[in-house]
Amino acid sequence: MLDYADLTAILPHRHPILQVDRVLEVEPGRRVVATKAVSGSEPCFAGLADGLPQSAYAYPASLIVESLGQAGAVLWLLTARAAGETTEGTLVFGAARDFEFLGAAYPGDVMRHEVVVESLKTNSAVMRGETWVGDRRIAVVGSMLAVARPDTELAAGPTG
Amino acid sequence: MTQVMSNRMNELREVVAEVLEVEPEEITETSHFIDDHDADSLRAIEILARLEKMYKIEIPQTELPKMENLRAVYDVVKQYAGWQD
Repeated sequence: MLDYADLTAILPHRHPILQVDRVLEVEPGRRVVATKAVSGSEPCFAGLADGLPQSAYAYPASLIVESLGQAGAVLWLLTARAAGETTEGTLVFGAARDFEFLGAAYPGDVMRHEVVVESLKTNSAVMRGETWVGDRRIAVVGSMLAVARPDTELAAGPTG
Repeated sequence: MTQVMSNRMNELREVVAEVLEVEPEEITETSHFIDDHDADSLRAIEILARLEKMYKIEIPQTELPKMENLRAVYDVVKQYAGWQD
């Protein structure tokens, strides 16, 4: 199991955008199971008006995608590390396809992401995954692409 | 072009069209993914990953720059899948 402190040594993300709290299981090159607890004190819920319905406190889909993607990034980086490789540059979320939201996560829920590798190369990774809250599956992604890009290339701006 | 070739070409066209989010008929054998269909390097990687999964083959990323149109994709896949035609 990897705790929050371990994750800060793997992912470049930091508070408040580090969206994975704990890794429960990891098989490098194959799969990862990671959790993120949603709380009412998340920055995304700050400043909401009183009297809103519960639906206003559904964790935003964009952050579910980010959290699931970060679980995938942990898997990729640990796989590279296990193989004695280093991933140069910055990881970039390239594309997500066939994303389906089937439910929601609310303050008090713990999201559990299960991410499986489709293909891994030195500079790119394709994965698929699911997000669960207890026995409810709340999101499914058919394919997520991440790439590692040299920092110099990113600083130079888009090249097409 | 043989029937087998033409079927495979259409299969590849479907994959490319889906990733580039265009209609399959817009993609000719020589229309350029980047210049004619607004592709970028990320889309190219997606195409490569899908082809690998579909045909259970491995294509080195060094082949990416070559894969600029459908004809070139066909030739690359043919090489790694061991197609005879």
